[in-house]
Amino acid sequence: MVNNEKSRTPFRRLIGYALHDRRLLYQALVLLVIATAADVAGPLLIKHFLDDYVVPGNWQMEAIPGGHPVIWLGVAYLFFMLVAAGTNYLQAIRLNVIAQASVQKIREQVFAKVIRLPLSHFDHTPTGSMVSRITNDTESIKELYVNVVGSFIQNMMRILGVIIAMAILDWQLMIICLLFVPVVAIVMWLYQRLSAPLFHKARALLSDINARLHESIQGMKVVQLSGQQHRFRHNFTRLTEDHYRARRRNAHLDAWLLRPFVDLLQKLVLAGLLFTFGYQSLDHPVEIGVIYAFVAYLGRFAEPLIEITQRLNLYQQAIVAGERVFELLDTEIVTERCDDNAHITQGKIEFDHIHFSYDGKQQVINDISLTIPAGKFHAIVGHTGSGKSTLTQLLLRFYTPQQGTILIDDQPLNAFSETELRRAVGIVQQDPFIFNSSVRDNITLGQMINDKPIDDAIIIKAAQQAGLHAHVERLPQGYETMLDERGSNLSTGQRQLLALARALVHRPQILILDEATANIDSHTEAKIQQALQKLHGKITLLVIAHRLSTIEKADEIMVLHQGEIIQRGSHTALLNKAGIYQHLYRMQAMGMEDE
Amino acid sequence: MIILHKLGWFFRLYWKRYAIAFAALLMISCLTMVPPWITGQVVDAIANDTLTYERLLNEIMLLLGIGIVVYGLRVLWRRQLYGASFQLAALMRGKIYDHLTLMAPGFFQRHHTGDLMARATNDVTAIEMSAGEAILALFDGVLTGMIVLILMVVLVSWKLTLLALLPWPLMGYFMWRFGHQMHDTFSEAQRQFSLLNDKTQENISGIRLIKAFGQQPQMVHAYRAVTDDVSAANLAVAKVEAKYDPVIFLTVGTSFLLAVGGGAFWIHQGELTIGELTTFTMYLTFLIWPMFAYGWTLNLLERGSAAHKRIDELLQSRAEIRDDGTRERVESTHIDAHIKRFCYPGSELDTLHNIDFQVTPGSTFGIVGHTGSGKSTLIQLLLRIQQSDASEILLDHHEISDYRLETLRAQFGLVAQDPFLFSVTIAENIALGCPQASLDEIRRAAQLACIDDDIQNFPEQYDTLVGERGITLSGGQKQRIAIARALLIDPPILIFDDALSAVDVKTEQRILAQLKQQRRGRTNIIVCHRLSAVIDADEIVVLRHGTIEARGRHAQLLKHGDWYAQMFQYQQIEAAVAHGE
Repeated sequence: MVNNEKSRTPFRRLIGYALHDRRLLYQALVLLVIATAADVAGPLLIKHFLDDYVVPGNWQMEAIPGGHPVIWLGVAYLFFMLVAAGTNYLQAIRLNVIAQASVQKIREQVFAKVIRLPLSHFDHTPTGSMVSRITNDTESIKELYVNVVGSFIQNMMRILGVIIAMAILDWQLMIICLLFVPVVAIVMWLYQRLSAPLFHKARALLSDINARLHESIQGMKVVQLSGQQHRFRHNFTRLTEDHYRARRRNAHLDAWLLRPFVDLLQKLVLAGLLFTFGYQSLDHPVEIGVIYAFVAYLGRFAEPLIEITQRLNLYQQAIVAGERVFELLDTEIVTERCDDNAHITQGKIEFDHIHFSYDGKQQVINDISLTIPAGKFHAIVGHTGSGKSTLTQLLLRFYTPQQGTILIDDQPLNAFSETELRRAVGIVQQDPFIFNSSVRDNITLGQMINDKPIDDAIIIKAAQQAGLHAHVERLPQGYETMLDERGSNLSTGQRQLLALARALVHRPQILILDEATANIDSHTEAKIQQALQKLHGKITLLVIAHRLSTIEKADEIMVLHQGEIIQRGSHTALLNKAGIYQHLYRMQAMGMEDE
Repeated sequence: MIILHKLGWFFRLYWKRYAIAFAALLMISCLTMVPPWITGQVVDAIANDTLTYERLLNEIMLLLGIGIVVYGLRVLWRRQLYGASFQLAALMRGKIYDHLTLMAPGFFQRHHTGDLMARATNDVTAIEMSAGEAILALFDGVLTGMIVLILMVVLVSWKLTLLALLPWPLMGYFMWRFGHQMHDTFSEAQRQFSLLNDKTQENISGIRLIKAFGQQPQMVHAYRAVTDDVSAANLAVAKVEAKYDPVIFLTVGTSFLLAVGGGAFWIHQGELTIGELTTFTMYLTFLIWPMFAYGWTLNLLERGSAAHKRIDELLQSRAEIRDDGTRERVESTHIDAHIKRFCYPGSELDTLHNIDFQVTPGSTFGIVGHTGSGKSTLIQLLLRIQQSDASEILLDHHEISDYRLETLRAQFGLVAQDPFLFSVTIAENIALGCPQASLDEIRRAAQLACIDDDIQNFPEQYDTLVGERGITLSGGQKQRIAIARALLIDPPILIFDDALSAVDVKTEQRILAQLKQQRRGRTNIIVCHRLSAVIDADEIVVLRHGTIEARGRHAQLLKHGDWYAQMFQYQQIEAAVAHGE
């Protein structure tokens, strides 16, 4: 089933989305048929009028009861026009609804997929390129539904209608006009073949331009200092020139094969028609009305074909974008089987001979084993790059160790469902992300407990535990005060307290502080220390700190160096032993290390 | 319309292309009026039974000839006009890029990369449309409309023209109204799309937080609300768009009805022939495009103006560091700096104050101190990346602002702590400041920087690509490549701005030893955190809280027993611990 889906062409997969609401689609199609029929009827009526009344000069107005047929012709013409206009409007809206719904569905699917990708994926893919797939590429796909498929169906209907009307009038002449179709089809095919490589090239060059621009903005200082502005400008100009040339070639191809060409064909057919009529008229009389109608139909026949060719460009873009989006959607995510009944109730943590490397080359964690009993306060210290943060990332299941197992409450990490793990393990990071939302929403993150919004009492309790409550009380609208994105109406310290409250609101069994006190003033740090004191014994605490004052009260401190634990013990025990801890402590005490 | 004025320079530059395109369009407009006329002639001849085979053949040949000429002309104007507008896009992008190369770091802090990128892409496209599609619609629309009207009046009948055009003003009114609605709904749709972009960006940037809190379902839910809004806004645009067709259809239909009805009457009266009526109705269809063009042009020009304003804003921003020095020669690398005070724009706090020092040519000068003490700022002032009114920095006894920026910066080779590598090959990265260097020279520099061995182990050695599409380098490797980059230029003054922080002590000592040999007689400035790098310096200044706390040689500073001595001692312990454990 899944494989089936992937083996289909991007076009068919994209069309699949439009088939979702079949009723709406059928409505649109029926309206389209009506609109086309009504549209095509107009010239037929005029032909009738010209042939039966104008040419013979047939104007006995008064003789016929119930109104002259000419009046009825006029009324019928007006009626068909109104019907055509109305149904056209209604079907256009329906097609657009279908298109928007399809794009929205694709967007949501891609987003849901991206957000579930493993973190390692984000390490290797630039944010910009991922955002661009979710927004820009899906936007290009929209064109397929709105401007390509809808217009294709509509124009095909029109062509069909015109062909039928022509056949009713004179099937031989219809054949002449019909010759048009295979020629246009061949030209379209040719265009497709020729333009695809040009189109890909132009797109690739544009992507290069963007990448170059992006990189230059990042590295402008280096460019300026090494006096290479001229060379970089020159290279960039060369790139834009290449892009210009690729697009110009594209435009030339468009010019030779698309609109001007179909226009030329139309003139050829007109010439053919006039010649046939003229030639026939040399021998026997022809109906002038038929000529009028054919000439009128010819316009209606050529216009849809021109429109179809004009959309080919958009079609190509949408297909390329579709390919990119599906590539992302089809990324396999290996999901571990988890047991919904596995619960974390105690908060005991165990690392058993863990080995880990991000890139498979450099070992970041080297055979670490440790046990943290439930309710204990453990701390990890070490230099930058010693692997401290990696340990928490492993515990959060962001990455999977290459060797060894991590257990919580004696069950392997993979046994827990995502919801359970996230509820039970809370984390406070170094630079908390503040959303454009109220204090309350920033604490709850919009989460629910048992499908109900989190109770005020719970929120206040968490804020009190984090030492944030008093601050919030002083804000103009309390918990409803809006915060801005970078949290500029909160100090760095307050933001950290908010992050702590955020972690506590779900009443986790395990709380991780990952360098949470690195950038804050000593006043706030003291508050966090107090909070940790209160939590000590109730939940398991794993605190990573550069600042040793934060962890003085820990039950056990582990010193990490190059992915290994080289010292462990209480603050006082470690202080009395020569080694990194003592060294770190003395450096900090003297204010030498950067805090 | 303002946009057309603003783009005047471009139109003047490429006036030939536009002139050719306009001439072609003019000829097309005239020529396309002929086939309906021919058709009318043939129809009349058939109706009157006056058609002969020769006449028929002549008319058909004329028709075919016109068809082919028009085809050629249509291809011609497209090549000229679209070619010109694409050229404009390339020029604008180049202009923006050139301008960016003149901007100082402060500018890049004020403007987010995403914003700058958007201006160089989306806004440029909008302007391109103004110079291409909009010009076409404006010129061709007006032209066609006028010619058709004249022909209708002259060739057929002014009475019939007047009658048939009765419903058109109504259409004009609706078009104008829809144009307004379009503008509003379209702006809203653009805004919503922008929000979607932001939201997506925010979610991907905050992915760790989202995952840590198990927020995926909530985020997907919240995202649905955003996509809902985007869909709604787009649908609003589509609804306005859907009104255009019926209105045009009804107008044209009514016009036809009036034309045929009135035409029939006048034929009956003998004032008109059936062929003239056929011609007339064909002309009538030609008026649809000018009406469309009217709305379309307004829309495009409006968008172009908005885009041009954004780009102009960018191009008008003045460089903070002005390159108005004239001096082009530097005889000696003597530096004499007196910095009274310096603070970053927008900051109250002095980053540096009361700093005086001299660097004599051929010496090695060390600057030490912990993070935030102002070391890097000092270097930025030397290179005029930042500048301060309350300071006097002399190079070769002249104020550094008297030199051309290019001259000044050519004196220095800076290796920054966090070096930036471009996604080109390693060889090209090393040869950044000296692109004509041979591979041997590049290798020599790499050997001095102790990176040659590493490079030899890469899959394609010096041709290995760096960055997203190539290999990822460690911090130490990046630093050493940046050192090789600076050594290749062999600058009069070499500056290491904490450039060895990610390199281990042993490699650091090897690099320093090579440096000492290689750069004998030239000036080196070494900024560092790890004191082992400045042991051999001729003078060391210790920076603390933005001012010089102590100065002297390594041995002198050790004797004072203050910060420097303690720091050195602890770094020795640290090194011992790191190796011992």
